[in-house]
Amino acid sequence: MKFIETQILVIGGGATGTGIAWDAALRGLRVVLVEKRDLTHGTTGRYHGLLHSGGRYVVKDPHSASECIAENRILRKTHAHCIEDTGGFFVATPEDDGDYPDQFRAACQHIGIPCEEISIAHARKREPLMNPRAARVFGVPDGAADSFQATHSTAQAARQAGARILNYHEVTQLLRDGDQRVVGARVRDVARGEDIEIRAPMTINAAGAWAGLIAQTAGLRVDVIPGKGAMLAVNHRIVNTVLNRCKMPDDGDIIVPIHTVAVLGTTDERVADPEHLTIEPWEIELLLREGDQLVPGISRARFVRAWAGVRPLYQEHYNGASRDATRDLTLLDHHARDGVAGLLTILGGKWTTFRLMAEITLNKACEYLGAQKPCITAHTVVPGVEHGHYWLGHRLHEVEENHLQSELICECELVTRAMLENAARQHPTFSLDDLRRDVRLGMGPCQGGFCTYRAAGILQSLVVSQQSSVSSEQSSVNSAAEEWNVAEMQSPAHNLQPPTSNLPLPISNSPNLLLRDFLQERWKGLLPILWGRQLKQERLDELIYLGLMNAPHLPDAHATSAMSEFYARPGIAATADADAGGAQ
Amino acid sequence: MTELVVIGAGLAGLIAATRAAQAGHQVKIIAKGLGATHWHAGSVDLLGYFPNETVAIQRPLDAMRDIARVQPQHPYALLGDAQIGDALKNFLALARAIGLPYSGANQDGDNLWLPSPVGAARPTFLAPRAQRAGELSRTEPMLIVGLRGMRDFYPELIAENLGKQGHRARAAFLPLDLITDRRDITTVQLAYALDDPARREKFASELKKLAQSGERIGLPAILGMDAHADTFDELQAQTGAEIFEIPTLPPSVPGIRLTNALRNHLRELGARVDVNMDVIAFHAEGARVLWIESEASGRPLKHRAEKFLLATGGIIGGGINTDHTGKIWETIFGLPLVAPRERGQWFRARFFDPAGHPIFRAGIPVNREFQPIDANGARVFANVWAAGGTLAHCDPILERALEGIAITTGSAAACFAGRK
Repeated sequence: MKFIETQILVIGGGATGTGIAWDAALRGLRVVLVEKRDLTHGTTGRYHGLLHSGGRYVVKDPHSASECIAENRILRKTHAHCIEDTGGFFVATPEDDGDYPDQFRAACQHIGIPCEEISIAHARKREPLMNPRAARVFGVPDGAADSFQATHSTAQAARQAGARILNYHEVTQLLRDGDQRVVGARVRDVARGEDIEIRAPMTINAAGAWAGLIAQTAGLRVDVIPGKGAMLAVNHRIVNTVLNRCKMPDDGDIIVPIHTVAVLGTTDERVADPEHLTIEPWEIELLLREGDQLVPGISRARFVRAWAGVRPLYQEHYNGASRDATRDLTLLDHHARDGVAGLLTILGGKWTTFRLMAEITLNKACEYLGAQKPCITAHTVVPGVEHGHYWLGHRLHEVEENHLQSELICECELVTRAMLENAARQHPTFSLDDLRRDVRLGMGPCQGGFCTYRAAGILQSLVVSQQSSVSSEQSSVNSAAEEWNVAEMQSPAHNLQPPTSNLPLPISNSPNLLLRDFLQERWKGLLPILWGRQLKQERLDELIYLGLMNAPHLPDAHATSAMSEFYARPGIAATADADAGGAQ
Repeated sequence: MTELVVIGAGLAGLIAATRAAQAGHQVKIIAKGLGATHWHAGSVDLLGYFPNETVAIQRPLDAMRDIARVQPQHPYALLGDAQIGDALKNFLALARAIGLPYSGANQDGDNLWLPSPVGAARPTFLAPRAQRAGELSRTEPMLIVGLRGMRDFYPELIAENLGKQGHRARAAFLPLDLITDRRDITTVQLAYALDDPARREKFASELKKLAQSGERIGLPAILGMDAHADTFDELQAQTGAEIFEIPTLPPSVPGIRLTNALRNHLRELGARVDVNMDVIAFHAEGARVLWIESEASGRPLKHRAEKFLLATGGIIGGGINTDHTGKIWETIFGLPLVAPRERGQWFRARFFDPAGHPIFRAGIPVNREFQPIDANGARVFANVWAAGGTLAHCDPILERALEGIAITTGSAAACFAGRK
């Protein structure tokens, strides 16, 4: 078995875990992060993309709200390129409680969240589709955050500061030394099928909704309250400002414009299992109905996708509904709590507060490690900030400037061939879904209809060219990761050349499996919202992959990847399979 | 006055209009857009798989008799052997007449196996001439040639998968600028570029250098548009090799060739084809539809006719629409549909489930004369017929029957309409 020695082992490659690795590395600590799938595959990559102003929790959870506004100001500097300054409206509709708006404004003032009441006429000028029956509107500094890019940038900053980040490495067991100490973890390298033992005087459990399962392997009880939230994406930016209902936080009360879409969120249902991501039909109905309150007629828009994430909420000895559980962050010091040293668990919080969660966690870890190093993440920018915020219009401009029209592999999101090739070279690719998170492949209206085949063909080409050119100077994946600027990965103009370095291609799957997995992965998120024009689009995708390609009858039809089983879980609870005695 | 208005310019509509025009009727097609032929492989898929079966059908004409037993309302069951045979014979003659000959397997009645753009074997019944040499029952080795930088065709992937299935195949590339200097390249533009004799001569001489003796050459389906026959013949002559086209990602050049040829032929027969006409209303008195109305600039346009033939495609063609409440409707006449009752029954959890997704079997129920009927089996209108992908009780894509359903039902519906 392979052994790794380090000072800090971080479990979980979401925003929080990556933030912890970054903070630790900046403090000069040796740190290794393990993530069982791809970075952001968990809750971080499954949220609506709101950068909180704090307005949403200002009445209900003022402490959380004040953390949000402080972090909002910091992240706009440290992760500037990942944040779009959309601003946010809090809209009181005639159906909402009439007293809440005044409470809301007072609470914002008290905490220091900039909040300005604006006239309905002015608000409608900015957002013409907003409910014209709105009674009052307040403007706050909400924003939209690209959680994929932010986490990748944080991870890159961490790597540059010396952190090791291992995705597709799953913790199977926390290692204990007697009853009173955790000394690291046994980890499964999913791609190679090897076990690794990672030893560290401090292990940080940042597995979010999975944190209870991790703690359990050391015999510790952590009752995470997994609160599943479903979201829907409209196929274009039906609003350009974040729209919130001005009332106590509830189901379906927010619309976030992010990149090319607008996201309707969210529901909140306490679930037993953090991997329970299947959407219930009532969730779709509720989101459409409530969405119509903010933007009348939004239920008749074209939706391209639905997904769910599971919030890692935590409240000691809590038995209620997840909607009412606190959004506050909690650091569990298992030495103080359970008499087990060498382990901290960080829970709760919001994406917006990930940096603060890392700071608090590392402060405690440093106490135990006897390292008196201050946190500098609030004043340190991550790589990519220099590029500024990147949106589809930039890609279009660069494609036109450089005449890259025929290079477009994904026309919906303007991904070029070289962008895909470089991303595949720089980032261990187990599925096309990993590349989707890197370059937004397959995220537009056709949901992989055209680009899945092209990506499989291009990756197969890379494999062939690698087999034919035997290279003597193969650099390691990690050293390349240091040169790689994730912000540049978003830009066609920074990827005019195909990859030149002869990196070992970290693709373990057959092209047929890549293709099948990605089509199924896209299908999962389409199932809940297939009607109208998106159903027509999907029928075209069927024509391509069944009729034209006969893809179900490709060789290796029964091969599976580490992700196949996950993708095969139904996207919505109601399917025709139920008739035949359950899914599958 | 127009005798027959066909709504829809996909394969079903074109075939129906052609048959009616051949029989001497005054015909007009009005259509919102073009059909699925523009997206598909350009071959005639008749029947490749039964729902829930993963083993392909070898003899589709025999298999149709089984369908008639198990699914008596399936369009093929409604048609029966004689009408299917007649429609296919008619199509073969028509295809020859318009300069795009199609043919089937050597043993009459068998499916052909042709390489798909991903290198799978796809079952089809009739192939255009340019696809025939790709037949996978043959043993000669294949050289799959792509154009470096072309995004809709991947020879290495095709060769790899053909190899895994026991076929001898290798991949090679030619530079894209042999054919075009353009930056925004689609299959259609490449096909038009090869209509130019100078370019295809250059292309042929480079191609010849790649091929080894005894190899047949597979190329993306871009071998000429208007001058396809010349392009194909010259490439074979100059390379001295057998050449075959492999369909590409849409748009489909072989599909467009077929559509263009059929439309030209209709024009010669004196029938109009008007595209970009969205039907927005109709008027019926008693059991007869008197006119339909299409959207136009200025004011809507009325189309009066004695008879109307619906060939609007199913969900993919826009003939059937759905919404988030689970409602499903026929878009022209609001005809009764056969469909799963609620949204929860529309789909299966797996995209590639061999049982198919129930919503895609939704459609218009018809009687044996292809006239739409209601839940009690009663005819809805005395002068309306339906054909193609809009019909209920079959899933033409899952069953690999897309063109077969279009041709056979289009042909039959036109014949029934002509008799009344």
